[in-house]
Amino acid sequence: MTRVDPQKFIPLKAHWFHIMLSLAGEEQHGYGIMQEVLNRTTGKVRLWPATLYGSIKRLIEAELIEESDERPAPELDDARRRYYRLTPLGKRVLDAECERLQELVRTIRVKQAAVTE
Amino acid sequence: MNFAWRIYRRLAQAFPHEFKLAYGTDVTQLGKDVVEEITKRQGVAGLIRLIADIAIRVPVEYLSEMRRDMRYALRALIKSPGFALVGIISMALGIGLTTNVYSSKWALIFRDLPAAANAKKLVMPEKPVSYYYIEQYREQNSLFAGVAAFETGIPFNVTFQGDVGGKPERVFGQLVSADYFSVLGVQPQRGRVLSPEFEKPGDAPVVVISDRFWRNRLNSSPSAVGQILRLNGQIATIVGITPKDFHGALAVNPAELFVPITAQAGVAPELANDVLHQHNAREFLAMMCLAPGVTIDSAEAALDAITRRLDDQDPSLPPRTDKGRRVTLLPAGTRVPIPRELRPVLAGFFVALMGLVITLACMNLANMLMARDANRRKELAIRLAIGASRFRLVRQMMSEGILLSLLGGLAGFVLAYWLSVLNSRFMPPTAVPVETNFHLDWRAAIFAFGLALVCGVGFSLAPALQATKADLTPALKEGSMLQLPGYRRFGLRNLLMVAQVAASLMLLLMTGFLVMGISKTSSVQTKFDPGTMYLLSIDPVRDGYAPEKAQAFFENLSERLKTTGRVRSIALAAQAPFSIDNDEDDATPMTAEDSAESSRVQQSVIEETVGAGYFATLSEPMLAGREFEERDQRSQADGSKTLSLPVVLNATSERKLFGNENAIGKRVKDGMRSYEVVGVVPDLKNGVGISQSIVYLPLTPRDFARPSAGGITVLVRSGAGPDASSGIRNEIAVIDPKLNIFDVQTLSDYLERSRSSTRFSVQTYGGIGAFGLVLAAIGLAGVTAYSVAQRRKEIAIRTALGASRAQVLRLVLREGAALVSVGTVLGFLGAIAMAKILSALTNIFVEALRVGINDPRLLIGAPVLLAAVAMLACYVPARRTAQIDPLKALREE
Repeated sequence: MTRVDPQKFIPLKAHWFHIMLSLAGEEQHGYGIMQEVLNRTTGKVRLWPATLYGSIKRLIEAELIEESDERPAPELDDARRRYYRLTPLGKRVLDAECERLQELVRTIRVKQAAVTE
Repeated sequence: MNFAWRIYRRLAQAFPHEFKLAYGTDVTQLGKDVVEEITKRQGVAGLIRLIADIAIRVPVEYLSEMRRDMRYALRALIKSPGFALVGIISMALGIGLTTNVYSSKWALIFRDLPAAANAKKLVMPEKPVSYYYIEQYREQNSLFAGVAAFETGIPFNVTFQGDVGGKPERVFGQLVSADYFSVLGVQPQRGRVLSPEFEKPGDAPVVVISDRFWRNRLNSSPSAVGQILRLNGQIATIVGITPKDFHGALAVNPAELFVPITAQAGVAPELANDVLHQHNAREFLAMMCLAPGVTIDSAEAALDAITRRLDDQDPSLPPRTDKGRRVTLLPAGTRVPIPRELRPVLAGFFVALMGLVITLACMNLANMLMARDANRRKELAIRLAIGASRFRLVRQMMSEGILLSLLGGLAGFVLAYWLSVLNSRFMPPTAVPVETNFHLDWRAAIFAFGLALVCGVGFSLAPALQATKADLTPALKEGSMLQLPGYRRFGLRNLLMVAQVAASLMLLLMTGFLVMGISKTSSVQTKFDPGTMYLLSIDPVRDGYAPEKAQAFFENLSERLKTTGRVRSIALAAQAPFSIDNDEDDATPMTAEDSAESSRVQQSVIEETVGAGYFATLSEPMLAGREFEERDQRSQADGSKTLSLPVVLNATSERKLFGNENAIGKRVKDGMRSYEVVGVVPDLKNGVGISQSIVYLPLTPRDFARPSAGGITVLVRSGAGPDASSGIRNEIAVIDPKLNIFDVQTLSDYLERSRSSTRFSVQTYGGIGAFGLVLAAIGLAGVTAYSVAQRRKEIAIRTALGASRAQVLRLVLREGAALVSVGTVLGFLGAIAMAKILSALTNIFVEALRVGINDPRLLIGAPVLLAAVAMLACYVPARRTAQIDPLKALREE
């Protein structure tokens, strides 16, 4: 298999970034992703349903996320829902994007420091 | 909230099938989960956003599927480049030709005059009238919002400011009344246009120039307005520039200069003799803008009554008692005014023509798609079986057709562009420039694109529907014969094949008739080498000569040229010999005065004006009598009207006017005066090989004083040898170096140019006919190959049972042969019918068609050729069947 260069996806679209970030470390279903993003951004970013699934479809096509066949513990499982998780490529892309954003923040800090001095 | 939820659910159902299959439930579920919470948190605004989100997403998903379809189609086309190429070329031909017709013919006849705001309300009488009549028309305020007078096709010898020593350029323009621009509704792009407030008789001459004149001859100079031009030697100031694309009324003869008719006579010989006040000088065209609420019919009726009254008051006119309309109003807001009753006929003809061409191309496309889709039946059946929606499959298959069609449309647009460029290069040599072809504009581009889209959708829909109609079970059975609807019967595909063969044969035969006919008839037989005759035109009056001086100049010129030694003979004429300017529309009614009662009916003849020794210079012997002499040329010098002019008839006009009687010494008359027949000459065909009935009038001082748009043509016969034209030019330059000599060419060049435009169009259509044949052959080959592939098993069994190769071949070819023969017979009959109709409609091709249609080479050759090609196309794939190894084929099954 040829290794896809994560840089090809950078910078990530805002929706994609939020979805992938909420899948970092845990598997989620659509509703969970939506709630997680909403909580994380204190209600500032809401992924509307059609947009959310449109993005999920494209993320799957781009092989950044995939449907998970593992189900959570039965008491937490919602049988109606499908769970998604990051693919290895998705993880690398998310890492690369986070790295890019951190770099950006560092640059801004340096600049701010220079201005305030 | 409930309402919003219902809309949401409805929209969720509208997603494309595949998306719905994968995420439909999730989207609905999630919506249901959040709708309450959103209402609580954000109220109505939140609900609106929820619905807006899904409403935007639905088309986005469709677009993304379409993009995928297109990519898929592109890949499929790249994989079979031959198929793609034939499809694209076929569509390109169809769309290119249709766009060409649309952008040239259609635009010429139906599109409003550019930049004329009143185009829809413009009308004009068919015939020119005297200025006095126009003044009377102008008073009908209840009928017309305005009435302008103009003369078109007026040549001006133009010298530019600061170019005193330079030779003048010959530029065509119009003489217009001051209200011309306001009647048309034309605003200047710079400066001002003429207007009754500014233009007064006897004012310093002014001129309005066209945008084209400004760009091409003044290099778009920003200081053009106010510049001085010399028109025919007289000074005129540029006061304004017309808008882009405005070339005057009757723009088929584009005008670059607009000179007021109130200008002094020196500016244009057409204005000499106080022509505005001559009641019998019927030289002006009227252009009228209808008053609000007035129909063209009521205007025509009223105008007819007024004209009758004016005619009755005119003592110079013979009393008339005719009942018919004397005035016919034409809608004049287009480049070519055509009679009202002809408009629907022409529109129908062009729509039918465009429809025929495009249908032919589309049929080919549909046919190819159908054969190809049939090969994918199994793939389609599998996809249908595993849950693909039929709609989706149809869309995917259609995208291939649409893509082909769009690519074809693009290529077709290029073809149309190329045709328009070529067409403008092959302009026939007319005295007044004619512009019938326009460069493609955005309208043509939209037309081509729309056509491509409609054709792509229309003609790929049927094959796609048919291909996905398959009954799943037999299609999926391994190795089984597929059920093919309409395969043996007179199905859609067979119909297409027959139509295609018939149409290509029709096109091929029609062009064949014309090519053969034209090559046979159009070779004008001169009795000498046409390369040794030089034609050149001079228009001394427009170089500032007085009429008498101009005539003296020509007499002097003849003498001088004859003394140079190289010149054998020389003659003058008001038009080039074998002229193609003579339209049947310009025919003059003429009557034999003292012939037998029975033949004293009006005959329409064409009048040509020629000087002394004209026929001798052309080496044409007189059939009877004499030709014009120097004294005829001068005979009118005393200006007496009573003196009768001599005329020479050609054989056709003599037969028309006098039957079998001897015409010499008899008299004929046209509307103006009476003539004595002094000679008869054989028919001289015109440049495209048509014999017309021509009456030759002598050149008179009036012709020298007011030459026609082509000036005076000098025919010089020289001995064989090197190019003599520069010698002739030098000789003229000795007499007057400032004289403008134009249209210098040998007779053979002139004849060649006359024929080239006809030949070009005939060859183009011939090429298309031939290409249509090739396309038809490819289509046939595809159909045969397809049917052969379907019958592999049957053929294998037959071969195994002892059928010979020839028998198998015959079996396969039978079907193709039936299609080809039906198509051939239909096409043959169609071509004959079309040739008859065409000869009845226009007289241009009558002669050519008559000759061509009787040519056995064509009548037998073309269908045989077509049938042979078509059969070859069937044979090649059929031969493969005969080579089928029965064992192998049966084992595969």
